Amino acid sequence: MRKRLLTLGLLIMSVAAVAFATDFAVIVNPSNPVRAMALVELGKIFKGKTHMWSSERSITIVLRDPDSPGMKFVIEKVLGGTFEEGKAILNDPSRKTTVPVVFASSDEEVIKIVGSSPGAIGVVDVYNITSGVKVIKIDDKQPFDPGYILKGH
Amino acid sequence: MKIRNPFLYSVMALTIAGVTAASAGAQMPQPEITAHTAADGAPTAEMVPVTTFSPDARHDYELALLYHEDLLFVDKGLVSLRKAVKADPRFALAHATLAYFTTDPVEERREYALAQKYMANASPDERLLIRWMDGAKNGGLVPAIAAINDLLSKYPNDKRLANMASEWLCANQAAYEHGEKILKNVLQSDPNYFPALNNLAYCYALSGRPSLAPPLMEQYVTALPAQPNPQDSYGEIMRMLGDYPAALDHYGKALQIDPTFNTSQVGIASTYALMGDQERARAQYLIAISGTKERTTKLDYRILWAMTYYRENQIERGSREFAKLAAEAHAADLPVEEAEIHRNMAIFNPEPHHALRSLDAARLVLTENHEISQGSREIELANILQTRAFIAERAGMADAAQKALKPLSAMAQTSRSNIVQQAYHSANGAVLMMQEKYGAAISELMEDPQNPLSLQLLADAQNRAGQAADAQKTLATLAAINDERVETAFAVPQARAALKNGSPTTAQVGTH
Repeated sequence: MRKRLLTLGLLIMSVAAVAFATDFAVIVNPSNPVRAMALVELGKIFKGKTHMWSSERSITIVLRDPDSPGMKFVIEKVLGGTFEEGKAILNDPSRKTTVPVVFASSDEEVIKIVGSSPGAIGVVDVYNITSGVKVIKIDDKQPFDPGYILKGH
Repeated sequence: MKIRNPFLYSVMALTIAGVTAASAGAQMPQPEITAHTAADGAPTAEMVPVTTFSPDARHDYELALLYHEDLLFVDKGLVSLRKAVKADPRFALAHATLAYFTTDPVEERREYALAQKYMANASPDERLLIRWMDGAKNGGLVPAIAAINDLLSKYPNDKRLANMASEWLCANQAAYEHGEKILKNVLQSDPNYFPALNNLAYCYALSGRPSLAPPLMEQYVTALPAQPNPQDSYGEIMRMLGDYPAALDHYGKALQIDPTFNTSQVGIASTYALMGDQERARAQYLIAISGTKERTTKLDYRILWAMTYYRENQIERGSREFAKLAAEAHAADLPVEEAEIHRNMAIFNPEPHHALRSLDAARLVLTENHEISQGSREIELANILQTRAFIAERAGMADAAQKALKPLSAMAQTSRSNIVQQAYHSANGAVLMMQEKYGAAISELMEDPQNPLSLQLLADAQNRAGQAADAQKTLATLAAINDERVETAFAVPQARAALKNGSPTTAQVGTH
């Protein structure tokens, strides 16, 4: 038996597994004063066009491996092109001197790195966030807000 | 084999020696911060601490969690929590836990207010737990997730905490992958931790992988042969799989173990209802109704009892019984239940104008001055509007469908509730169907994949779009649902009849 409260509207036995949406959270170090940014701005950071925070701290991007689940959606959404184009941008060796990209093996590792690096910015599945990082709004919305742009399937 | 004896466990809880914390106030006894007990009764820092100055309150709190979370004696758990807050009115965590578990809106609101009021008495980690409970139930999801993950990281061996978190992830958030991961970690350290076996089975079932659930249920019943809930859960899983005889068998075994385990009584009743034996279902529901004292639970069971008349197409009798229940819910100041009753009446009313009037009545209840949380009000209103759009679509009433969509669209702009979002997509799908924009309708209706009404519309939209194979799959999905919801009672028999008759759509057999 499960509590009625918790199973409200969820008891279904489908013939195939159902796909469910996941929100991706953009995270920064808690010491970073930034609370929100536009998706376009995030795209500029991912492309290496913006490489400093307003505090003049250098930006480092921390992401899971591009081939890990969900990252295809994030890369396409933030960079705007195809997945392959996005991967090429993030893997471009020349950007090591502008906005370096660190690929981590898990969301937990992304959070650990962002939580200990004042200039870092990362993207993780919202269900993995801790108080060690700060979730920022994208286009004035945070995860779970209606119309949040980084809601993927 | 691991058997937990509630009496022994509660005695253990009473023997805890703890560390004295800061004073909670000059006039009050000093609260003590202690950890929960380990299996051997010794204090442990491996679990989230519980702060109360009252040994009685601590005992009742521990007993409540044992009943409500571990053994699924839900009503007994609530009773123990109420005793705990009575024994220590400044016990913030107990107030928050009661608010989290109760289905009574008045109690929920009052207890959250008290939890906030006495928050200063709680330890920092209890405050995190309270923040999670509050956010999880009232929509502050981002801080809630951060809070529970902090706690899970700090207390990796707190199995009950892990179990509660994963239950929320799987059953409430559809975050199955995350829930599963936590549960598997728990089971790795303790393969017979029975609440986790139960929750993992449900997590598999809810995520559309039911065949993985029965082996866990076997383990669960073996681990706790003297407890009724394992058999009850096994029964529910088998019913979800459509194996009614096995479901009845397991529910029966649960009642043999404990004849007062009322959820199994309801399980038997609902299984008969799903089998089409409404006479037997009613008799079993009546036993369950007489066996519960919780006013909301009692009303829920009575709604299920009344629904049997609709199930056997006794529309007039069903409406009469539901009207009585609506009056009682009104008198008892249970607005969500009252609105739900009117909505149920609408779904089964074959006359669309009358059905819409029932929905007007449901909506009116929510505008009256009741003790009801914003979240509960919003969800029920979304359900009402979605049902309105559905009925309007079935009856070809384009204006009515549009009128339902408009406020739902406004709600969806601001609400974080998945239910509101899905209701909006479903209603929009209904409107798009009426505009013969079937491709767009399909995409909208697919956003609400667990609602039988949306699945019914989806199958029709797919047929009209020429996607016959997809429509058949959707109908099969719909026909495979075996639960107690009113939407299921309405739409699933139609889907089964359509499949049996080789009909491409449920439209011909529907009452709307």
